[in-house]
Amino acid sequence: MIQFDQVSKHYAGGHEALSQLSFTVPTGEMAFVTGHSGAGKSTLLKLLGVIERPSHGTISVDGQNLAKVRGRGIPRLRQRIGMVFQNHRLLMDRTVFANVELPLTIAGLARQERGRRVRAALEKVGLLSYERQLPATLSTGEQQRVGIARAIVGRPSLLIADEPTGNLDPQLALEIMGLFAEFQQVGTTVLIASHDLPLIKRMRKRVVVLDHGRLVADLAAEEVL
Amino acid sequence: MNTDAAAHPRNEPSRTRSVSSWREHHGWSAADSLRRLAARPLGSLLTIAVMGLALALPLAFYLLLGNVQQMGQALGQDQAINVFLQPDQGESQARLLAKQVGDRSDVAAVTVKTPQQGLDELAKLQGFSGALDALDQNPLPFVLMVQPKPGLDALAVERLAGDLRDLRSVAQVQDSGAWRQRLDALLGVGNRVVLALALMLALAALLVVGNTVRVDIASRSEEIGVLLLVGASGAFVRRPYLYAGIWYGLFSGILAGLLALAIEFALDGPVARLSQAYDGKLHISGLPLWLLLAVPPAAAALGWLGARLVSAWQLRRAA
Repeated sequence: MIQFDQVSKHYAGGHEALSQLSFTVPTGEMAFVTGHSGAGKSTLLKLLGVIERPSHGTISVDGQNLAKVRGRGIPRLRQRIGMVFQNHRLLMDRTVFANVELPLTIAGLARQERGRRVRAALEKVGLLSYERQLPATLSTGEQQRVGIARAIVGRPSLLIADEPTGNLDPQLALEIMGLFAEFQQVGTTVLIASHDLPLIKRMRKRVVVLDHGRLVADLAAEEVL
Repeated sequence: MNTDAAAHPRNEPSRTRSVSSWREHHGWSAADSLRRLAARPLGSLLTIAVMGLALALPLAFYLLLGNVQQMGQALGQDQAINVFLQPDQGESQARLLAKQVGDRSDVAAVTVKTPQQGLDELAKLQGFSGALDALDQNPLPFVLMVQPKPGLDALAVERLAGDLRDLRSVAQVQDSGAWRQRLDALLGVGNRVVLALALMLALAALLVVGNTVRVDIASRSEEIGVLLLVGASGAFVRRPYLYAGIWYGLFSGILAGLLALAIEFALDGPVARLSQAYDGKLHISGLPLWLLLAVPPAAAALGWLGARLVSAWQLRRAA
């Protein structure tokens, strides 16, 4: 479960990226965060990944107050969160397999277990036959799917994605969103920042709308038209 | 589609598996950092060469100083303390005194030179034979030639000479203590210089490896960012850079040892010729084996330290 309670974020120079934001995403729910550019979507995800800290308010993930997560607790928290980025952020000098394997190596899993899980994740995103290739030889959509496989391979309780379909054509974007929906169905909490309204409408999931850092609408799945 | 990756709850690794994975990552980091060094041979060789030269210099000075010390000792064997006895002291008294002095723990040997032997030596010197013929009796006293124990420092030799001077039957003591004192003082200065030089050059080597690792980290900041985002700890991210520091240090330590051996080899010929001039008393002593064996691991530790300091600072900024 994700809980934002009166969360604000101010940057140096006085810019307010988020203002008194409060909402909850229950465990196993999939939700979109949308809004114009600069609405605060990316900041919200950065706060969840402890890449940045809130100026005010409290954020909890599965009951853990993120303000109390410090030092070695940060990597442990990040191992529980799967992150997907718009620009994939893959290691271009390592194979697809090595990229997906990374969170498991960090978590300290044995080689055999890692191999089994990586192949399962790659099969899930339809890239099992690409495991020995370098990311540069793949298309943008395939690279994004490698990024998703890396995010899910550690079986995170929370999956967050920042504009995961930003560079993809509509059909591919829908396929990627379908993958996220599948993870939600098996109990993973999924939070996706996106400004692709047509796609969000097609997905029929809960939508949190931000404008200049403020929560302006929180629509349940059935309210999305 | 297989939903295995998402369907099962997250499995925490067991302690045994963690240790085995930790060891595996160490192995991977060591191999990967070595591969990266080999991937840019010129840059790596330059770093190793600079570090190797910096570490070879104190070794060369150490070698030089050790040999100067040894030469001083070898030449010092001829510098016996000459103890001139009172003219009224006869042979039996001279031999008795020689035995007493010879029993001292700081004395290696005592030779008694009779007045006749002294006269014969003088006679061999050009221009003296005529003058000696004019003497109606031998004016020379018995002389004890006292050889201090090898390795005795200038202060101890001076103390020995003082003790001999205080003996009632002794008229005069001739000691080359000033010569020894000067050599000892010079060697003392040399030792300090070598120590200071070794520390400064070790610091230089530390900075060289630190800067190389800093550049390496800066060029891989994107990769480090990804590792941190997917949950890598600082230790995990640092590990390959620490191994890079170890490799740089180890190879430069080996190079420094080889350079020192080359200097030793180059000195061998000239010292042999010098030794012949001193009746074979001089011998070049090489660097001790323990030192040659200790340099590569010590340099590797230095490389590790440089990499550790820089990577900790760089990663704090990246996090």
